Amino acid sequence: MKIKTLEEILKNKSSKTEFAILTNLENGDSEIYLPGTSPKGEFSKYADEIENFFKSKKNGVIENSEIFVETYIKPIKVIIVGAVHIAQYLVDFAKSLNFEISIIDPRGYFASEQRFPDIKVINKWPKEAFEEIETNSSTALIALTHDPKIDDPALQYALKNKFYYIGALGSKKTHENRCQRLAEAGFTNDEINSIHGPIGIKLGGKSAPEIALSIIAQLVSETYKK
Amino acid sequence: MKNSFDEKILDEAKDWIKANQKVVLATVIQTWGSSPRQVGSRMIVNEKGDFSGSVSGGCVESAVVSECLSLIKDNKPCKKIEFKVSNESAWEVGLACGGEIAVYIEQIH
Repeated sequence: MKIKTLEEILKNKSSKTEFAILTNLENGDSEIYLPGTSPKGEFSKYADEIENFFKSKKNGVIENSEIFVETYIKPIKVIIVGAVHIAQYLVDFAKSLNFEISIIDPRGYFASEQRFPDIKVINKWPKEAFEEIETNSSTALIALTHDPKIDDPALQYALKNKFYYIGALGSKKTHENRCQRLAEAGFTNDEINSIHGPIGIKLGGKSAPEIALSIIAQLVSETYKK
Repeated sequence: MKNSFDEKILDEAKDWIKANQKVVLATVIQTWGSSPRQVGSRMIVNEKGDFSGSVSGGCVESAVVSECLSLIKDNKPCKKIEFKVSNESAWEVGLACGGEIAVYIEQIH
C-alpha cells in the first residue's frame, strides 16, 4: 500500500465518507473506491462485484480472483440528551467504537465545551436541536436527564422517526410515569415498549462509569440485532 | 448491517511512518470455520518487531511478526500467508480454536 493511499483512507474516515479499499493480492496494488464511481485501472473489470460487496457492506476476496475488497461504512449516529456525568463516560467508551456522538442539553452550565471536548454539543431544547441533526432509522437515542420536559420531546421525536435504539434513564417508577405520558400523547404500546427503560443491561453497578458501560453494552447488542 | 467497531490501526500506522519507521500492514482476508477475528482485522509491524492490533486471538501473531520482518529484510512488496488448524505438534504455530485464516501482508511505502 502506498502512503498516499493510507492518507486517503484516513481522510475519508475523518470526513465520514463511505468508501472501499481494493487490493490486488498478486501485485500489491491498492486503490480507493468511492460508491457511484467506476473502479480504476485493473480493478475496472470487477466493477459489478465491487459494487455488490459495497452494497452488502462485506469484506472479502472476489470469487475466482485475487482482488480483496474492504468496505468502510459511516459511524452510527448516537444522540445523547443530557450533558450529565454518565454522558462523559459514554463519550469515553464510544472512542474505541464506531459511534459518532452528539449531545443535546438546553442547560448551558451542563453543555459546556470544557466538559465535552471534540464532541458536538447542542445547547438547545430537543425540538430545535433536532433541526440541526440529520437522523434516520440507523440513529440511536440515549435520554439521560430523566426530566420529562427535556427527555419527552426527544423520545417522541425518536419514536416518530423510528430510531433503531431508544433508551431512557430513570427508575422503574420514573419509567412507568414516562410510559403513561407517552400513551396519553398517542403512542401505541408497541412503540412505548420499544424504549429500553430503565436503560442498560443489568450489571449491578450504580456509579456513572458502570451505568455508562451497561448502556454501551446494550447499544452494541441492539446494533448487531438489526 | 451495522458495525459498532472501529479499528484505529491505520491511524497508528500513519504515526509510525511519520516517526520514520518501516511499516508492514497485515490484514485478515479470508477465514474458514471458527476464527477469532473477522475478515478485515488488522495488525501493523515495524522493523524492530513492535506490533499493534491483531489478526487472531494471539495464536498466530508471532508468526505474522516474523513474516513481516522477512518482508522488510527481503524488500518484497507483499505476501499471502495461510494458517491452518493446529495439529498434534502443540508447539507449532496454528489456530487452537480450530479455524483457518489467510493473512495478507504488505509494506506501506
